[in-house]
Amino acid sequence: MTSEKSIKGMGGKQPNHNDEMMLSMLRDILLREDREDIAEIRDALDDPDRLAEKITPIIEFHLETMKRKFPREYQKQVDRIVERKLKASQDELLDVVYPVMGKMVRKYVNHQFVSLKEGLDERMRSLFSAQGLKNRLKAMVFGVNEGDLLLGELEETKIEEVFLIERDSGILLGHYSLTETIDRDVVAGMLTAIKSFVEDAFSKERQDLEMIEYGTYKIYVQSFHQYYAAIILNGAITASYKDKLSKRLLDFAEAEMQNISLDGEFETNEQKLSARLADYFKE
Amino acid sequence: MISKKVILTGNFGVGKTSLFNRFVYDRFSDKYLTTIGVKVNKKVTHVDGEEVSILLWDIAGEVSQDKVPVSYFLGAAGIIYVFDLTRPLTYENMDRDIEHLRQLLPDSVIKIVGNKEDLLGSEDEIQQILSGLNHECNLTTSAKTGRNVEELFQELGKDLLERA
Ligand SMILES: Nc1nc2c(ncn2[C@@H]2O[C@H](COP(=O)(O)OP(=O)(O)OP(=O)(O)O)[C@@H](O)[C@H]2O)c(=O)[nH]1
Ligand SMILES: [Mg+2]
Repeated sequence: MTSEKSIKGMGGKQPNHNDEMMLSMLRDILLREDREDIAEIRDALDDPDRLAEKITPIIEFHLETMKRKFPREYQKQVDRIVERKLKASQDELLDVVYPVMGKMVRKYVNHQFVSLKEGLDERMRSLFSAQGLKNRLKAMVFGVNEGDLLLGELEETKIEEVFLIERDSGILLGHYSLTETIDRDVVAGMLTAIKSFVEDAFSKERQDLEMIEYGTYKIYVQSFHQYYAAIILNGAITASYKDKLSKRLLDFAEAEMQNISLDGEFETNEQKLSARLADYFKE
Repeated sequence: MISKKVILTGNFGVGKTSLFNRFVYDRFSDKYLTTIGVKVNKKVTHVDGEEVSILLWDIAGEVSQDKVPVSYFLGAAGIIYVFDLTRPLTYENMDRDIEHLRQLLPDSVIKIVGNKEDLLGSEDEIQQILSGLNHECNLTTSAKTGRNVEELFQELGKDLLERA
């Protein structure tokens, strides 16, 4: 009955209020279903779980089709591209991989070295020589490990020169020296000849020459794929020193040699590489 | 400037070191000091206004090229194969030697050189020897008088530049 009243009242005193009520009711009646649908959709959109529930099957279906079609249609093409790329840039690839592999090997060797040093520490603890006592005193005063002290004493080695040499041809790629060297191209060539000779004559399987000793000079050699480095040293060389050199060379190779084209203008490269060598090896 | 590795090879005593010394230092000695291992030297030559730095490897003579350590050849852009015009023993197996070198370095420039031409009497005598060879010869030289030595390296430099 109240509704009747209010309908009657529409044409009465408060037409505006009643109109609105009517409209609102009409809207409710006519649009209720749509509203419910919209609310449902909004809910579904706002709730990630529900959204996923709806969309995932569609995406999965497309992915599945892609997976099924992709190999058939593109694999041959991709294979061919990859194969060609690999063949064309084998050397570059190796030079990229080399420092990384080198670092892994170095890490291992370093680990071995550390265990060796630990063994040494152990032995030193039971050592009662004058030097041993002195070291122990030093160690007590300065708080350094005795093993480090012992190795430190041997480590006063000086880098005289660094050669960066193309592996087979012996062509000089870069050079760093404390003093001016006259015939560095010739030295690079001779080093390569000696290296070739030794590697040819004395190694059954392919193995790289690592050290040449000449009087008080020692030449530390580290080979990369397309080039090698020869470092002329004066003084005693410990395993840890070698390790340090090797690490520096690997860092150098990684940072400086990746973007160098080895069959380009040697002179431009040489100047650039020589400058960078100095950055790395000047002490 | 480009740098190229060039190898001097051939039999014992054919004059590889003498050609090397003539080319690099412009000097000659009658003394025979056989080369042990390798000696490397460098000379910058000018070819058609361009500079080529030649890294010359003078290696010990071997009776046949397959006795030379392979690693010496690696990375070489040019080979100078020398024989002695006055000693048949040094060119009898030339075809086999060159074949071997070609296989080792298919892309390299190979120059075949008959040396010590100053010891032969006449041009006819030289021609007679050359026509009897089992492989073509590019140039006859004398390290002693210096004849054709500069030319040899000029030709080589030109070929090297063309292939660079
Ligand atoms: N007359 C003459 N003698 C020459 C010439 N070239 C080299 N000789 C001489 O031949 C001998 C051998 O010369 P080398 O240059 O040492 O020969 P090589 O080929 O280097 O010899 P190995 O190093 O033993 O393989 C030396 O006595 C030289 O003086 C030349 O053009 N004319
Ligand atoms: Mg010689």
